[in-house]
Amino acid sequence: MATAALRSQVAAKWHESFSRLNRTEPGITGLISFSQAWNIATEYLHPRDITDPMAVKKPADLASVKVAFDMINRSRRLPVMLETFLDDICNQYHLITRDIQKYLAQYEESGDTTVMLRLVFRLVEWFRAWSPIDELGPTIRGAYTLTFQTQLFSILPPGFVAGFKALCASTLVPVAQHTPEMWDAFEVLGLTDRYEGIIASVGYERIEEYVRETCTGKWDKPCLEGLRAWMTSQIVPWMLPMYAKGAVNTEDARGMLQNVGSRFDFHMNKTLCDLRTSEIFDIIIDFPDSMGALQDLKECLQRVDQRASLVQALRKANRKRLLHPGADTKLILTQYVATIRCLRIVDPPGVLLFKVADPIRRYLRERPDTIRSIVANLVGDDDSGDALVDENEPIQPLQQLEADDYNDPNWDPEPIDAGPDFRTNKPSDVISTLVSIYDSKDLFVKELQVLLAQRLLAITDDNFEKVEKERRNIEILKIRFGEAALQVCEVMLRDMTDSKRIDGHVQSQKASIVHPTIISRHFWPSLESSDIVMPGQFQALQTDYAKEFSTFKPDKKLRWLPHLGTVHLELQLEDRTIEADVPPLEAAFIELFSDKNVWTMDELVAGVGAVDRTAALKALITWIDLGVLKEDQENTFRLLELQEEAAPAARTAPAAIEAPAVSAAQQQQADQMRLYWKFIEGMLTNLGALPLDRIQTMLRFAPGYDQTPEQLAAFMEAARREGLVVGRDGMWKLNR
Amino acid sequence: MEQLTSSLAPPRPNPKPSVTNSSQQVAGSVAKRLTNELMTLMMSSSPGISAFPKNDGNLFEWAGTIEGPAETIYAGLTFRISISFPPNYPYVAPAIKFDTPCFHPNVDIASGAICLDILQVGRTPRVFVALTHDPTIKDKWSAVYSVQTILLSLQSLLGEPNNASPLNTDASAVWDTPEVFKTQLMKHYRPVKDAA
Repeated sequence: MATAALRSQVAAKWHESFSRLNRTEPGITGLISFSQAWNIATEYLHPRDITDPMAVKKPADLASVKVAFDMINRSRRLPVMLETFLDDICNQYHLITRDIQKYLAQYEESGDTTVMLRLVFRLVEWFRAWSPIDELGPTIRGAYTLTFQTQLFSILPPGFVAGFKALCASTLVPVAQHTPEMWDAFEVLGLTDRYEGIIASVGYERIEEYVRETCTGKWDKPCLEGLRAWMTSQIVPWMLPMYAKGAVNTEDARGMLQNVGSRFDFHMNKTLCDLRTSEIFDIIIDFPDSMGALQDLKECLQRVDQRASLVQALRKANRKRLLHPGADTKLILTQYVATIRCLRIVDPPGVLLFKVADPIRRYLRERPDTIRSIVANLVGDDDSGDALVDENEPIQPLQQLEADDYNDPNWDPEPIDAGPDFRTNKPSDVISTLVSIYDSKDLFVKELQVLLAQRLLAITDDNFEKVEKERRNIEILKIRFGEAALQVCEVMLRDMTDSKRIDGHVQSQKASIVHPTIISRHFWPSLESSDIVMPGQFQALQTDYAKEFSTFKPDKKLRWLPHLGTVHLELQLEDRTIEADVPPLEAAFIELFSDKNVWTMDELVAGVGAVDRTAALKALITWIDLGVLKEDQENTFRLLELQEEAAPAARTAPAAIEAPAVSAAQQQQADQMRLYWKFIEGMLTNLGALPLDRIQTMLRFAPGYDQTPEQLAAFMEAARREGLVVGRDGMWKLNR
Repeated sequence: MEQLTSSLAPPRPNPKPSVTNSSQQVAGSVAKRLTNELMTLMMSSSPGISAFPKNDGNLFEWAGTIEGPAETIYAGLTFRISISFPPNYPYVAPAIKFDTPCFHPNVDIASGAICLDILQVGRTPRVFVALTHDPTIKDKWSAVYSVQTILLSLQSLLGEPNNASPLNTDASAVWDTPEVFKTQLMKHYRPVKDAA
């Protein structure tokens, strides 16, 4: 039931509304004129289909429209008007959707970015067509733009993004002419803000592509400068219309570009850094021809924090490509040295190097021939000529790792990413680094002696230049290892000169064709002794020489090592003469053949004392190859006084006869184990059966005992297999 | 953290040497000598003689083993001995006794004490080294001797007893009759056991 109050209230409202619309016009003329104005305005604003020529907006009478709007505004009906207008836009948006779909279908078919460009321009056309006049004020215009864009983004199909990206990219190479209009269109449609990420990614992708294109595999010169220039000339102009659109002068533009520019620059650095990281192994191989790449990497790493990934990549590459049984130790060393040099360029404090080098060093320590390779390289015994050590590098003494010097005014804290066991190795020379792979340099010195011995003994025929060369080497090495360590080598070299002098003297007393090298047993590495007894004339020659020697040096006695050395032979057979330089064993065998023509293997071996059968066979095969001997039956050899047609070789030489000489390191290991065994033997003899842990603690008495209980257990197990000990109930005792 | 503290702290000297006194230094040098002797002995591989510290904490008490020399009446027998080094070794001879009962003219069958010239010490006769009756062989011990020389002397003593100054007169009495001697020897002999 409407009360009177309610009635009056409704009436008041009604009257108010009426008076607002009717204004002060008499009757309802105000109402009518408002209605007309409303119609004109809505008609004007109505979003039309611009594809339909019939619907094309009539050239509106702007004056009347303005009047109409003015009236609506005065009646304060403008918000309602706007609402209606925006609703209309939403209702009419299907027109635009249709258009977009048409263009996109066309684009997807052709892949032509100009279609996308046309689409964008078309959208702008729609936007402009529907846009209300500016006179309506910024509020309405803003509302319109917002609605239009919201609608647009809501209906844009996923395919649009891809097309849009392609469009942006198409403007980048080469910078297209239509760019400013396009950017304007983007701006109008609000695409710039919405798809900023995509636009940026276009830039990023272009940078990545360009970096890969121009820098992959090009390590000789730094690329970074060129890339920066390229960025300035190519990317910055492209960025200008988007990121610096309001700029009035270059100063302004620079300020606007600073933020985004540094992002792009970072991306360029990162891309280059990633690229170089993936190539780092090959870059190191190419060193020093890859200096440019390393400098780039250094610069990039300062900008981009990719150190960890560089270490990871290099360690992975090393593991995959370097630290496996297929790689030659020499190669690993070369690569290690190159790694040292390269990473010192990239990271002078050496944290990266430390992290990368650690696995390499550990691996090298396990290789049996590492020391040999290093030492061979030290003395220049390298066929490849690819010395690890740069000859221009000054020779300096080995550097010992030093504890921190607390008084060092130039002390720097360790780099932030240094591990707990990082040791600042001051840029020391390569040899020091290599030697420090092992805990002591003694191993090197020992190996050096072995190697020197081999090289000195290999020198034949008064080739004294070689001795001099060795002397030079030793002098250089003395600087590194110290005088005392190389004293033994000094004695060895002295033996060489002394031999020559003594030989000269002995020869002057009684000429002999034997020219021995006389070595001091205590100073030379233990040479494997041999039981060869030289037969026939050789024996006589040796005895004569020894007699002459002992008159010259009465307090000394010669002990021959007949398996070393070479013999120059001239064999006079019935139909031919053969000259040959052969090892003594070969000479000994052929000497035996001067007694009788047919020998069996066993007779031959007996004829020269004790000799290994494989070695004997090898010596005989040498003669068979020379056509001097022939194996008639198995193990029976006949001297061919008359040359025979070369029969097909009955046997091939057994492979790998010459076992490589035991390296000093292995030798030392074996010596150590022998020593421990003596101690174990001693304690088991005197203390009876002992448990393993007791043996372990008792081995404390053995100097330098460093084996773990597990190693000891394995050792005892090995001894048990040899039948030296028996183990029962965890107690070990000697097997007697 | 540990790294930090350890690098901050100056390297601290080992606290032990601060309480050094002369006797410890002496003990150190004796231990060193004994270690060297052990090393020499282990590496020498003289047949039939051997010795080793009884436990890992004490270098001054050794156990030794002597095999009877071939072609003597002791051939094939093994004797265990104890060697006890004085703190002022090697200026004073070690005390040595047979653990395995040894029927020998110069060895006391009950205590294992040995009468051997180089083990004599002039003014300070040791408990289980019996005084020799021969005044000419005094002060025979010298610092240049070592465990190895002692063991070698003992080994040769087995085959060539000094019957002039017997400790075991029964043994010296029957020395010239090997059959009787052998019977007596085997009556007292106990094979060395492996139990430690």
